[in-house]
Amino acid sequence: MNAHHRATRRALSRALSRALARPFSTSSPKPSGAAFPLKHVTKSNFEPALAELRQHLRAADFVAIDLEMSGVTSAPWRESLEFDRSDVRYLKVKDSAEKFAVLQFGVCPFRWDPSTHSFVAHPHNFYVFPRQELPVDGPSYEFLCQTTSIDFLARYQFDFNACIYEGISYLSRQQEHEALRRLNGAYEDTLSDTRCNLKEVRDVRLDRMADILFTERIKNRFSEWRDGLLRDRIGGFQLQWNSNDSKQQFQTIFFKMRPAISLTGFTSHQFKLIQWVINKHFEDLTYVHVTGENFCSQQLVVYTESKDDIDLLMKEVKDEHRRGAEMKIQSAIGFRQVIDLLSSEQKLIVGHNCFLDIAHVYSKFLGPLPLTGEEFVSSINKYFPHIVDTKLLLNANYVLQQRMNKSSTSLSSAFARLCSQIAFGSESKGLAFLQPVQVEVQVDDIRTSNWNSGAKHEAGYDAFMTGCIFAQACSHLGIDFKLHLPSENLAHNEKLYKQINHLYLSWTNGDIIDLSTGKIEEPLGTKYPKKQYSKILFENIILIWGFPSKLKAQEIRQCISKVFSPTSVTSVYHLDESAVFVQFSKAGFVSDFLVLKETLERSDGPISVLHPLAKLLEGRGGWY
Amino acid sequence: MAALLSLLPQRRCLCTKSHKKWSVKQVTKTNFEESLSEIKTHIAHSDFIAVSLQRTGSVSAPWHRFLPFDTSHTAYAKAKRAAERFQLLQFAVCPFSIRDSKLLAHPYNFHLFPRDELKIGMPSYSFSCQTSYLTSMAREGFDFNACIYDGISYLSRAQESAAILQMRNPIPITHVVKSSSTPSVADSVFIERIKSRVKYWRNACKDSSGNRDEPLLSSLRKLVLGTEEYGSRPCMNIDVCSERQVQLVLEMLEEFSDDLVPLIIPAKGGATQAVRVILTSSKEDKVLLQNELQNLQEEQTKKVRGFREVIDLISASHRPVVSHNSLNDFTFIHSKFLTPLPPNVDEFMCSLHLVFPHILDVQQLMKEIGPLRKVTNIPTAISYLKDHFFAPIDMETLHQDTANDGKIHGHNVLRIAHLFAKLCSILQIAPTESGNKSLVPALEEYANILNPCSMSPQESTDGDISIWTNNTRKVSCEHLVFLWGFKRTMTAGILKSLLQGSHDVFSEEFDVRLVDKSCAIVVFWKPGLSKTFLNVMNSKEICGSLRELVSEGLRAACYATYKRVCSLGIWEADLAESLEKALEEPDCLRKTDSGTNPLEVYWFSDLVINLDEL
Repeated sequence: MNAHHRATRRALSRALSRALARPFSTSSPKPSGAAFPLKHVTKSNFEPALAELRQHLRAADFVAIDLEMSGVTSAPWRESLEFDRSDVRYLKVKDSAEKFAVLQFGVCPFRWDPSTHSFVAHPHNFYVFPRQELPVDGPSYEFLCQTTSIDFLARYQFDFNACIYEGISYLSRQQEHEALRRLNGAYEDTLSDTRCNLKEVRDVRLDRMADILFTERIKNRFSEWRDGLLRDRIGGFQLQWNSNDSKQQFQTIFFKMRPAISLTGFTSHQFKLIQWVINKHFEDLTYVHVTGENFCSQQLVVYTESKDDIDLLMKEVKDEHRRGAEMKIQSAIGFRQVIDLLSSEQKLIVGHNCFLDIAHVYSKFLGPLPLTGEEFVSSINKYFPHIVDTKLLLNANYVLQQRMNKSSTSLSSAFARLCSQIAFGSESKGLAFLQPVQVEVQVDDIRTSNWNSGAKHEAGYDAFMTGCIFAQACSHLGIDFKLHLPSENLAHNEKLYKQINHLYLSWTNGDIIDLSTGKIEEPLGTKYPKKQYSKILFENIILIWGFPSKLKAQEIRQCISKVFSPTSVTSVYHLDESAVFVQFSKAGFVSDFLVLKETLERSDGPISVLHPLAKLLEGRGGWY
Repeated sequence: MAALLSLLPQRRCLCTKSHKKWSVKQVTKTNFEESLSEIKTHIAHSDFIAVSLQRTGSVSAPWHRFLPFDTSHTAYAKAKRAAERFQLLQFAVCPFSIRDSKLLAHPYNFHLFPRDELKIGMPSYSFSCQTSYLTSMAREGFDFNACIYDGISYLSRAQESAAILQMRNPIPITHVVKSSSTPSVADSVFIERIKSRVKYWRNACKDSSGNRDEPLLSSLRKLVLGTEEYGSRPCMNIDVCSERQVQLVLEMLEEFSDDLVPLIIPAKGGATQAVRVILTSSKEDKVLLQNELQNLQEEQTKKVRGFREVIDLISASHRPVVSHNSLNDFTFIHSKFLTPLPPNVDEFMCSLHLVFPHILDVQQLMKEIGPLRKVTNIPTAISYLKDHFFAPIDMETLHQDTANDGKIHGHNVLRIAHLFAKLCSILQIAPTESGNKSLVPALEEYANILNPCSMSPQESTDGDISIWTNNTRKVSCEHLVFLWGFKRTMTAGILKSLLQGSHDVFSEEFDVRLVDKSCAIVVFWKPGLSKTFLNVMNSKEICGSLRELVSEGLRAACYATYKRVCSLGIWEADLAESLEKALEEPDCLRKTDSGTNPLEVYWFSDLVINLDEL
């Protein structure tokens, strides 16, 4: 308890000092805006924050989200490569979302306020931690950390203590379902054998003198009490215990409308003995174990009038157990309530390069990721029908590209570029050929039109930046929020329609996935800067591994060219030290290579050793 | 502070006389340098070194723990998996000496984080965390921010050599070994050409040092001579094509050793790209430069090694290392600070022995005291010893308790040292002989037994195990059969009664225990029946209620399948799932598996299973 308090204090004071330190440490130009901290949400203030967020979400025109994860790729070759086909890309995203944890979840609802002609943003920064709240007999909860990602977060003063000590845990829908199913199973099992449960303690051996004396005393106590109760019914006898000590150990209470004794201050062995005494000597007394509202357990001996009454009592106790367990499951859902809200409100969700984010949301809060991208897309569309990606928006539209003036479309540079009035607190910067969209920020009761917490790479602030970029981008696309009716869903706006539900499957090669159809499109036209190399033909590619690690790409190319023809190899690409992709100029070479490889491997004679490919074929090969 | 102390009952029990609080020196990046030199002297003056590690996780599923039926091979496979998967966040080291009943201890707690300090993707690309571990660390007040922000990084020995190649820093050459082979004609031509070039350059540099050229002229001169600057001194690069040429150049340069200092410029992939020659102005200047280079190199290695310096110090000291969970600890140490873990336990023990010649596991000593056999918790063991034996140990730590900030980390290492001292005193082992730093014979028999499931040495020789382990019976692995495919709510008792009537093999004495919810282990006490049972399970003649059970999904496998599960690393959450997968693996793997070392037989016959522990 003490340690816990200390930790909270430490975490809070750190957050506070960070909030104080931030405005002074931001680089010039100095923000002139008000600098109050983000709304941080942890276990301790989750319930009120959720209630508040519910109101804001209901009123919002769109919601920006952002996630901070414990890592992105679990091994170098799992990074997104140019050679990856789209199905492989999905599998890599799946691998990442399954292995890494979400540490922070930023949610920022934006609402258009017609009276001030500005948006009101409510940035929330949720600390999330996959704590195991329910006892399950499955594998323990585990997640991966990518060292560079953790170090990156540390450089931005990420508060790991707040996350681990105070982070909000969660259950996915599937986990909740599973827990309830298990509970029901257990409930039915115990209902059917209530009686045998009672007899379980029959074989207590009384071989210690202390035990014999103790059980004797207990027996006397309870018969006294029971007799007292019976007398009480006739006369008005008030039960008296002999000593103060006993009063504390045996407290008479009412349990489910029946007289009962609450037992405290015994060892587990003594409880066992008491249970044995009750079962053996008292027909009309029942020993029950209940878990109270604040999860403290209570041992009771209850007076029952008949056999039927015992059954009734046991059923009542079981039901209460079940209710208690259900409550526990309910409270373990934790952060997922926010996701359920996002899903049920069906608002437009805005993210920046957010395919991986969405995959994380799916695997953490819905259920295990499907095996194929198509299945994933169709089921995510059910939960979140409208998603828009600001990175894609910025790259897809000519007006916006011009506005960005070819600068990078990373979140912070896009924010600085498009929303300079918010980023720097000045309106003079840049070629403002269009009216900047005003954004006011509200955190709790403080509201300002000029906010800069400077907390870059805090999920809440990143979500805020994403939302601002989106609002500004909409304005550039010609959406006039002044004419926009609150009832209208932005997602159906014709100027945005083309970009809704289009996400970058991977930024590396610009493949775009359409969440509403599941189709994967090539990048649009020539605007995509990175698509300069020749088209990759997957059927021309082989994967070679197991060769000596010092072999360089050039040598591998020479090796193969010697056997086939000098122009047979288009490119050699190192995945990591242990494997390469070799792209042939013709698909025919692939099968030729594999056949040749097999014959060389089968014969151990001098021919195979002297063959030019021998150097390479210490290893193995396989097609793509 | 009073409330804090009540959090630490073990602290109170450690204090025998005074009310002094034991303080463990907390070490992070900021005070690592000073602590390193401090611990160096402490190690030199101590007799033993206790270690204790804080990891980010250990077992992912119940059956991944060490189980009583694990052989050294399977136990190692389990420890290896954890060591490769999880990370160390704290490493407590405590050099200590025992003088009569006095324990002199110098505990340090190093905070580690595998930060990629050199931007070369080392020491660890990624690592796993178990939330339950992190939560319980949080409960103890662990400061994750301090650890991640200021933790000390490190590189293993294997990583260091890779890093040096990768960084390609110039390597100073202090000593040239003359090659024995006579130079060929080509060699002589090469040497003569380089020699005249060096001579010419050297003279030109010396000439120009007196008179001041105008800038244009001096840059022209530089161009012609191929001279560059190394700091304030002139230097030139001699390109080489082979290691032979490197040797020749270095030998040739011996002639000019008065004022020329050679450096080797490594190429990508470990070869040499060039030899750089630096011209010094005098003999004194040469010494100065050599010292500079030396310091530079030391600085570099220090940066590269980080916390591993401490491991190297412990290793170099040859002091016995005392640990509580040695197989887990040393698989971690081996994989993080030495080299990647070898595939099997024998290679591991060999490799480890070269670095740490004496490892003492307090659990091995505890096995001498019957009731402690099953105790895995250190405070419990200490309080048991305190209640049952008179062996007062007076502890003295030399650190001043300066910080009253409630830092309580790394105390485990003190407890280990304390427990070790107590055990030595109770078992009447004099831990050290005066004037002799090597391990005393009485302790030697406990040394280097890492397998948590192995028996203590005496026990295996006299065979009299019934005194305190009345439930322990020796059993060969051959008599064990794994069963799975039954209802998850099944208890061992019900399963046993189900089996009892199902077939003749179960009419003899046998026992059933659950390994996890999915899988049970059956011991046939009569030899040969396990084989019969497995044959029956695979035959068509299967009948009666056993047939019923099999049709409902019951499956069985021998112990070798379990061994394969571990050696192939099939770490599913349920053992049943893993066994199933191991059976599906192609047979070619089984061939290599059966050809393993003869030790296996020994282990098979020597296995002790304590069914009560399951």
